[in-house]
Amino acid sequence: MPSKIRNFSIIAHIDHGKSTLADRILEFTHTVSKREMREQVLDTMDLERERGITIKAQAIRMEYKEHILNLIDTPGHVDFSYEVSRSLAACEGALLLIDASQGIEAQTLVNAQLAKQNDLVIIPIINKIDLPAAEPGRVAEELTATFGIEENDIILASAKEGDGIEEILDAIIKKIPAPKGKKISPLQALIFDSHYDAFRGVIAYIRVVNGEIAAGMNIRLMGTKGEYEVQEVGVLKLGLNKKDKLTPGEVGYLIAGIKEVKECRVGDTVTDIKHPAKSPLPGYKPIKPMVFCGLYPMAGEDYEKLKDAVAKLQLNDAALSFEPESSGALGFGLRCGFLGLLHLEIVQERLEREFKLNIIATAPNTIYKVNLLNKKSILIDNPTRMPKASDIDSIEEPYLKLTIFSPANYVGSIMDLATDRRGNFIDLTYLDPKRVMVVFEIPLSEIISEFHDQLKSTTQGYASMDYELIGYRRSDLVKLDILLNQEAVDALSIVVHRDQAYYRGKRLAEKLKEVIPRHQFQIPIQASIGAKVIARENIPAIRKNVLAKCYGGDVSRKRKLLEKQKAGKKRMKRVGSVDVPQEAFLAVLRLGK
Amino acid sequence: MTSLYIHIPFCKKKCNYCDFVSYPGKENLIDDYVEALCRELKTSPLSCASGAIHSPLHEMERGGTNKVSDGVRTIFFGGGTPTLLEPKHFEKIFKIITPKFGIRHSAFEISIEANPGTANKTKLKELRQLGINRLSIGAQSFNDQHLKTLGRIHNSKDIFRFYDDARSVGFENINLDLIFALPDQNLEDWKKDIKTAISLNPEHLSTYNLIIEEGTPFWRMTNFETRMMNELPIPNDELELAMYEHTIDTLIENGYHHYEISNFAKPGFECKHNINYWKNGNYIGIGAGAHSHVDGKRWSNPDKIEDYLTTPSSFLPLNKGENVERSETRGGDTLFLGLRMLDGLPIEKFTGFEKEVKESIQDGLLQQENGNYKLTRQGLYLGNEVFAKFV
Repeated sequence: MPSKIRNFSIIAHIDHGKSTLADRILEFTHTVSKREMREQVLDTMDLERERGITIKAQAIRMEYKEHILNLIDTPGHVDFSYEVSRSLAACEGALLLIDASQGIEAQTLVNAQLAKQNDLVIIPIINKIDLPAAEPGRVAEELTATFGIEENDIILASAKEGDGIEEILDAIIKKIPAPKGKKISPLQALIFDSHYDAFRGVIAYIRVVNGEIAAGMNIRLMGTKGEYEVQEVGVLKLGLNKKDKLTPGEVGYLIAGIKEVKECRVGDTVTDIKHPAKSPLPGYKPIKPMVFCGLYPMAGEDYEKLKDAVAKLQLNDAALSFEPESSGALGFGLRCGFLGLLHLEIVQERLEREFKLNIIATAPNTIYKVNLLNKKSILIDNPTRMPKASDIDSIEEPYLKLTIFSPANYVGSIMDLATDRRGNFIDLTYLDPKRVMVVFEIPLSEIISEFHDQLKSTTQGYASMDYELIGYRRSDLVKLDILLNQEAVDALSIVVHRDQAYYRGKRLAEKLKEVIPRHQFQIPIQASIGAKVIARENIPAIRKNVLAKCYGGDVSRKRKLLEKQKAGKKRMKRVGSVDVPQEAFLAVLRLGK
Repeated sequence: MTSLYIHIPFCKKKCNYCDFVSYPGKENLIDDYVEALCRELKTSPLSCASGAIHSPLHEMERGGTNKVSDGVRTIFFGGGTPTLLEPKHFEKIFKIITPKFGIRHSAFEISIEANPGTANKTKLKELRQLGINRLSIGAQSFNDQHLKTLGRIHNSKDIFRFYDDARSVGFENINLDLIFALPDQNLEDWKKDIKTAISLNPEHLSTYNLIIEEGTPFWRMTNFETRMMNELPIPNDELELAMYEHTIDTLIENGYHHYEISNFAKPGFECKHNINYWKNGNYIGIGAGAHSHVDGKRWSNPDKIEDYLTTPSSFLPLNKGENVERSETRGGDTLFLGLRMLDGLPIEKFTGFEKEVKESIQDGLLQQENGNYKLTRQGLYLGNEVFAKFV
């Protein structure tokens, strides 16, 4: 008897209506009663609701026309593309949701391609057809041109109005294949997400592929090699619903005394110690942070608080890495690794919001592979640890395949932007006469310094982008140091391409001259590569700073003026003999091309 | 010693740089204002004859450390433009203060601020006869173009006439206020102003660098990035410093005693009233916006004339008791005020600030001399760098 289970996810761009569609489906299948219904049931974090994106994957089980439907919600941002790929791997089908007035966006394309690679059946849906600006005809053409989709397979819907929901559910049952796993077979279950619960430890979300899993079983996680005893399994409704066992094709949760999400990695395979599977499920990759920055407490005494806070976030965020570091300029802090810029921003925001910490973040950088003359290779995630130029044979940096979707009239500016940032043009495709897809290969380091903001501003917000890592490539990179009053300031060091070193060094020196106040002595600012100074500015000494006026007997006023001056000094970090304001550390970020 | 300050907040026109408590076009309130001043003087916490302070406020807080026993010795009419008042107004005021403080004219320093063109010879004579013995003239500049930029209502000729009138009616202690670092002013312009001032041979000179204060027309006219005020360049630090250095060198050469950052006097003519401020002494301020300080308590009156007029004098001061009882705050006040004077302060006053003193000495801004700590020449230019350490 074929299984009555259907596992699917929804692929959509931000704001194309994924959460609303999910809500309608839950309502229609009576999984959630009207009383329990809140806006966007699946996005549980405040940040997710505010940003309109899903950061953590979730799953929910529904019953409809004697079938069991598991909706596996995927994270909605490029930083989390590995998590997306694992969520998709847990499904047999995907709803491809496109906004009727916007058309296909970069992220949708990349995720839909990912779904195809995973052999998922795609159900195309054009959403928001009730909007006055809706152009379902044009969007249908785009779908046909981009994915080779038959026009009569497309479902027209308005999740907001509840139109098309039944048709979508019927298509899920009819078109998405039933899971194929074998019941009598060694256990293979895919972990597609996990989260940490203060009372029960790690709760892993799994999809059983082959075999069965039940409480009391001794299991091994094949990637991390951790071994545990299963305490509980069950399925995911609005909460956890305990069950005796999970069988092939089923999606549910697993509790097994796992202490940290680090031990329970997304993409790992759960197997039975007694009858282990011969091989794990394909596609497992340990998470590797690609973007790094230093996080320092504004007040030195908050260091322990910062460390505790990051450790707490890490309980639930296996992709976040950190280690203590100390900077001559900023004191004690943490070197943190992130999946990407959004991930960095989210962590920073949560530290400030949930832990009430004031932090300084140094300019983010990527991870470099440095090949030394002694034939050894090392990975460098902090510019200050870059070996001496004389010891280096070559440096490699991570490259991306960057896909940009945009109205055709911005192609010129997009070309300029990408080539200014060392992008190599690969391909240009017209989706329709008015919209194009442009592909570049570009270093990751170029993307993490305001590229997205600049793309948005050059295209008036119309372009969307997505990227995937394609590996390391050799680049002519140099470490650019900044010296204030002859002293190198480690927190201002950056790694740049040699061709850009002069420009960036000059801009950085100019910016620093603007933001660092005059001192009682002249402060030379130098940008250097090794011992060679490539740019120089001078902050002249302060010559006169004294209150002339009497202000009658108004001593409070004089005192307030002096207090203001004193407070200004306190907000600065003393580096050697120079008081450096916070803005200086951000200046590195805002250097333009 | 205690000082009495009386504020006269009226002006014919507000100058472009001015952020003091002064209002143009309210001369119709002068009569009422003087009545209110008299009421406040009568009820003010200053006693008759001896001049000792005996307010309930003070009695409560004194706790046996009353240093204000030797009474009022200086009176200062500031503004605004005090010379906008008529002699009859001053008569009313003096009718109260003369018996109250037992004024013996010779021993008292009684100053009045005056703007050229706001008093003729007759009025000046009457002021002198009432007992006012020090005249502080708001000259600001002798360059007519600069006077115009500043928004002054007088020109250089008015200053000369006013000065001569003051001398002829018997003022033997005259101060000239001058401002430097004006928009479009160069070093030569300022040297001329100083030369002209010296040629008049006043007993006292106050030279202030222009500060562009928030809320003034100058503030609105200034682009701080380009350092331009409308079309006019504002002198940079280096030029301002050159002007200041020239002032110090030239005035000392000409027999003036440089006794405070911005103030110079012929020996014996140092302003006692202002020295009392810098020594963080006790003073009572009367009138709108006037500030008082008595034994560690500071308070002030409402700035607006109308508010001042409608506040019953028994309720003044309104903002009483800005509490500066924390000893380090009071100590800090004494230090940052006192260091403005070139003699500095006795070393023992710096107890608890050893670290700040050491840093300032290392920076070359403070030095030890005759048992005092005092600013170095460099310290005069960068006084705020030192003062800020003590707040």
